[in-house]
Amino acid sequence: MKRSKLSFWVFVAPSLIAFFLVVVIPMFSGIVMSFTDWDGINNSPNFVGFSNYVKVFTSDIVSTKFMFIDLEMPKFISVFIFTAKFAIASVIIINILGFGLALLVTRGFKGSNLLRSVFFIPNLIGGLILGFLWQFIFTKAFNSIGSTYHIDFLLGWLSNTNTGFWGLVIVLSWQMAGYMMIIYIAAIQNIPTSLFEAADLDGANFFSKLQNIIFPLVAQAFTIGLFLTLSNAFKLFDQNLALTGGGPYHSTQMLALNIYKTAFVMSDFGQAQAKAVLFLIAVSAITLTQISISKRKEIEF
Amino acid sequence: MKKITTLLALMLALVSSVFANSNSEKAVEPVEVNVFQFKVEISEELQAAAALYEAQHPGVKIVIQTVGGGDDYGAALKAKFQSGNEPDIYNVGGPQDIKDWSSKLEDLSDQPWVDMALDGILSGATVDNKVYGLPFGMEGYGFAYNKRIFKAAGIDASAIVDYASLQEAVVALDIKIKNGDLKADFPLLEAVFEYAAKETWVTGLHTSNVALSQELGNVLTAFDAKNIEFKYADGLKKLMDLQADYSSSADNKALLNAVDYSTQVDTGIALERVAIIQQGNWIYGGVKNVDPEVAENLGFLPMPIVGAKEDSIPVGVPMYWAVNNGTADADKAAAKDFLTWLYTSDAGKDVIVNKFNFIPPLKGYESFPVKDPLGQSIMAFANAGKTIPWVFMGYPSGWGMDILGAKIQAYYAGEMSWDDVVAESVSEWQSAR
Repeated sequence: MKRSKLSFWVFVAPSLIAFFLVVVIPMFSGIVMSFTDWDGINNSPNFVGFSNYVKVFTSDIVSTKFMFIDLEMPKFISVFIFTAKFAIASVIIINILGFGLALLVTRGFKGSNLLRSVFFIPNLIGGLILGFLWQFIFTKAFNSIGSTYHIDFLLGWLSNTNTGFWGLVIVLSWQMAGYMMIIYIAAIQNIPTSLFEAADLDGANFFSKLQNIIFPLVAQAFTIGLFLTLSNAFKLFDQNLALTGGGPYHSTQMLALNIYKTAFVMSDFGQAQAKAVLFLIAVSAITLTQISISKRKEIEF
Repeated sequence: MKKITTLLALMLALVSSVFANSNSEKAVEPVEVNVFQFKVEISEELQAAAALYEAQHPGVKIVIQTVGGGDDYGAALKAKFQSGNEPDIYNVGGPQDIKDWSSKLEDLSDQPWVDMALDGILSGATVDNKVYGLPFGMEGYGFAYNKRIFKAAGIDASAIVDYASLQEAVVALDIKIKNGDLKADFPLLEAVFEYAAKETWVTGLHTSNVALSQELGNVLTAFDAKNIEFKYADGLKKLMDLQADYSSSADNKALLNAVDYSTQVDTGIALERVAIIQQGNWIYGGVKNVDPEVAENLGFLPMPIVGAKEDSIPVGVPMYWAVNNGTADADKAAAKDFLTWLYTSDAGKDVIVNKFNFIPPLKGYESFPVKDPLGQSIMAFANAGKTIPWVFMGYPSGWGMDILGAKIQAYYAGEMSWDDVVAESVSEWQSAR
């Protein structure tokens, strides 16, 4: 007993120390920094109390369309709304795609193993490279196809908010669908075959099997899948930076990029940290709510 | 239990060897000068120059790192300083940077090149009579145009001295392009202009500078200006509209927001797809890589602001070399010596003019004439006194690119009226100061 306790700590310690060094300590020093006016260069910042938090909600007022009406709101809120819209769209699309692909490749036809790797590969490419790759596809490839065949739909991608938004959704979906597919494959393969055999004997078709066996029994995987996509969509940075850079006119800027710009472009690290703290709270609140809701829908078997 | 102890000992040994390594590496080189610079175009040539310097100065090692373009460099530099890995030589852009970095800047007033500087060229890096930066060189931008296309279209570029004559030439050229008169010689030619509104430094810094420099005077007064009037906003609008209305995106100007630097330069003017672009002499190398013949036939047209100077191009200093005051004395001395060597020795001068294609910022370069046509064109404007200064390094941090540049994109997308662009930019300037 004594020995296993020691080996427990020996094995846990490296990751625990790393976690403290790169997550917990920076988080607390970040919270402290959010109460200062640090500009990123000078090493003796002053404490300014809550004024950074106040600034987040009072400065930089822009007019943004929300629910089809123009509203005046702080830039941070409008960025938050854009990010939330993006998260909703990509969570739905990624999970439908991932689940669909998982269903496809678990049907046991020839070449399904090859397809699994093919669908998963985009996930192995780094976000920045992916962003630049798709930027080329959207702006150059789409453009030349569009102008050759006179398809107006393909022209000027990423030059306005709408195409920027859907461009980002497409890139993230393309990247993450394969990853979600792997999670759903594992869940689908965990379902005992006896259930399917029984259903076959009862004469159930594919859709009733899907509805009555597969959906309820992979609910656990949906919890994970939704959590991963939701938090990744909210925290998206690389693809946002590489694909649109927040442009045109900051209209496709997401939260992480907005925080980065506040810190490194506007040289206001204090306010950026305040935003980051709010960001942390918001993302945890949203994902924890999602987990507790989808946990309730899970079934043990 | 014993196994665990061995394992721990092994891990400890590994970790300590990593640290030991980094220590011993430092001990081998007596003086290492770390350069962190932003000009991608010269990174290889600078490396070669450093090797030359190292050969002449044994015991000094120059390590160069390049991170390119506008705000990326500023962000990378801050990250570099925060990581504790401070460079010995880095770049600052002007009064705003000098102020931001004041705690990390070495006073360079006693350097030999200070007395050799061209008149006024150090003003952007001088605070309280102390010089904090060595200018990279002089750069200029304007409407870079293709002389062959102008010749084929029968347009006399030397007659373009104000907005009216520029507009006349652009319209005449546009008609010829649309009629297909130039199709035989220039099969790809499709528009007069290409304008990179995606690159907010092109719009928010360079184009806006033409109007604001004539209002604010110079970079120092711009830096001190608590607010701006935007006196020449109408003239600026004319330049913006001219470049958009005769671009390949004239029918849907929102598409300009997707045009980047390489579309404007590499697949724009270099391919002879367009005849004029608003860019500077730094495009020479890039165009030459695509088509040397086009590169040799480039020149500048003035950027006219109606109601102000109409026959001039903006000429200024892109960046200054600065020395970090926080490192060891030996490092600082070596860093200063390297910069002095690069700009005042004959070998260094050759690099500056012929390898970097810089227009020298110092006197004493008589035997090193500028060879590329864009550089010569700038010299011609400068010798005729037809220049206006660069003031965008005196804009408030982020104002040019992230505020004005972004609003110009909204203007092209039809989301914002020009009057709103001007009014909001003016109020943002005030609140930033």
